[in-house]
Amino acid sequence: MDSEGRRKFLGVCLAGTAAAAAVAAGYPVFRYLAPRSGATGLQKLVISAADLHEGEAKFFEYGGSSAVLIKTKGGEMVALSAVCTHLGCIVQWVKEQQHFLCPCHGGQFAIDGTVLAGPPPKPLARIPVTVTGGNITIG
Amino acid sequence: MSLLKRLYRWVDLRVGIGEIADKELTGYLLPRNINAWYSLGSVLLVAFAIQVVTGMLLLVYYVPDAEKAFKSVNFIMNEVPFGWLIRLCHAVGSNTMIAALILHMLSTLVMGSYKSPREMNWLSGFLLFSLVQGISLTGYLAPWSQLSFWATTVATNSVSALPVAGPWMVEFLRGGKLVGPATLGRFFALHVAFLPLVIAMVIVVHIFLLKRTGVSPPPFGRSDTATPFQPERYRYQSHPGGIPFFPNYMLEDTTSICIYLAIFLGVVFFWPSMPFTPDAFVPADPFKTPAHIKPEWYFLANYQTLKIFPNELLGLTVQGAAMTFLALLPFADRSPERHPLKRPLFLTLVVGGILLWIALTVWGHFS
Ligand code: FES
Repeated sequence: MDSEGRRKFLGVCLAGTAAAAAVAAGYPVFRYLAPRSGATGLQKLVISAADLHEGEAKFFEYGGSSAVLIKTKGGEMVALSAVCTHLGCIVQWVKEQQHFLCPCHGGQFAIDGTVLAGPPPKPLARIPVTVTGGNITIG
Repeated sequence: MSLLKRLYRWVDLRVGIGEIADKELTGYLLPRNINAWYSLGSVLLVAFAIQVVTGMLLLVYYVPDAEKAFKSVNFIMNEVPFGWLIRLCHAVGSNTMIAALILHMLSTLVMGSYKSPREMNWLSGFLLFSLVQGISLTGYLAPWSQLSFWATTVATNSVSALPVAGPWMVEFLRGGKLVGPATLGRFFALHVAFLPLVIAMVIVVHIFLLKRTGVSPPPFGRSDTATPFQPERYRYQSHPGGIPFFPNYMLEDTTSICIYLAIFLGVVFFWPSMPFTPDAFVPADPFKTPAHIKPEWYFLANYQTLKIFPNELLGLTVQGAAMTFLALLPFADRSPERHPLKRPLFLTLVVGGILLWIALTVWGHFS
């Protein structure tokens, strides 16, 4: 009976040691493979206003993802996420119709990001923009 | 627990793993007088596995391009979390693995386990030894440092001493007249794809041969029940009344593996500079040869031999002859006597050979 208890105790110790060793080996590997934090932070982005004409769109990377900036016919600046809310394709700017078309499943978005047609369930996310002098600040 | 048991029963019913475990683990009997040296094979399997895993992890960030290789290695060392640990394990692991490999070969030599009917075990082991040297050499170029670049230049250059085809072979090895981006490409492919695959296959053959012939009992210690080798026909050398592999010898294996890991991690954490010289931290520059370029410790004896002989071809021939002799030893040494003390000529040769190798290595290091 005594040896039974001893056997169990040693078994638990062994399993504990093995688990600790597995964690000690696994944690560095996990951290090594984990995506780097900080690389996708939402920094502010500054674009020169002279780069963009009325009715045109400019695509850029923002916060590790794709975004788009449009200068409306009225001269107003709109910044949106360019990632379609349906399955994640990048929307295209159709200059003639002044709206967005998603090439994957034909979703359509208005210039302010609201859904006009197709499967997308939600409007495109808006990103704040401020215009100061000749510079457009995004974020 | 009962869930695990039910899962085991389910698999066992379909595959019969219990039967395999009985036969290969508890029913696999080893000589009663087996000693710790026999566990070096298991140590080497673990060492190889560590190299494979850390190598795969390094591939995540390493870029095999002459322009970017050095930068990517620096990135791994300084930016990636625990990148230094993975890289050091890979670099130190190659050294400790070769040390264990040398000990494994020495124990085989001293205990005479290479003798008939185990010539093929020895030959496959010798092949593994050569392949591991090859994979170490090709991996050495990967960081594209001054050390990598010039050590590879020197190592590949020695082939040029061969008559007629020599110069052409060097160019073929390097993929150009000099070591350059083309060399990195081919060495990288050899290092990560070709050689690991070949080594894994030869390991399988090596273990298969071990399983077919059976373990040779050590020639000393408590006597074993084994019957002597009968040269006329195939016979598996069983050890009735021996100790079971599981749990008895598995414990010995585990102990040796733990000792190996302790030494290996000791070097990784307390002597991280071991695999590197200052030239390892300078990017490769094809126009500037550093002052003292030397190979890894396990090639120092070869390096010194080439320096001693006035003629490179002569130096290479001597080394080739020594290696060939070692590879074909079981065919030269036919006597069935395996106790080292009853083989004075052999023991003198082994001790002399080891002393010569150490002397050349030390000389090479300080020259
Ligand atoms: S992903 Fe855009 S419509 Fe399907």
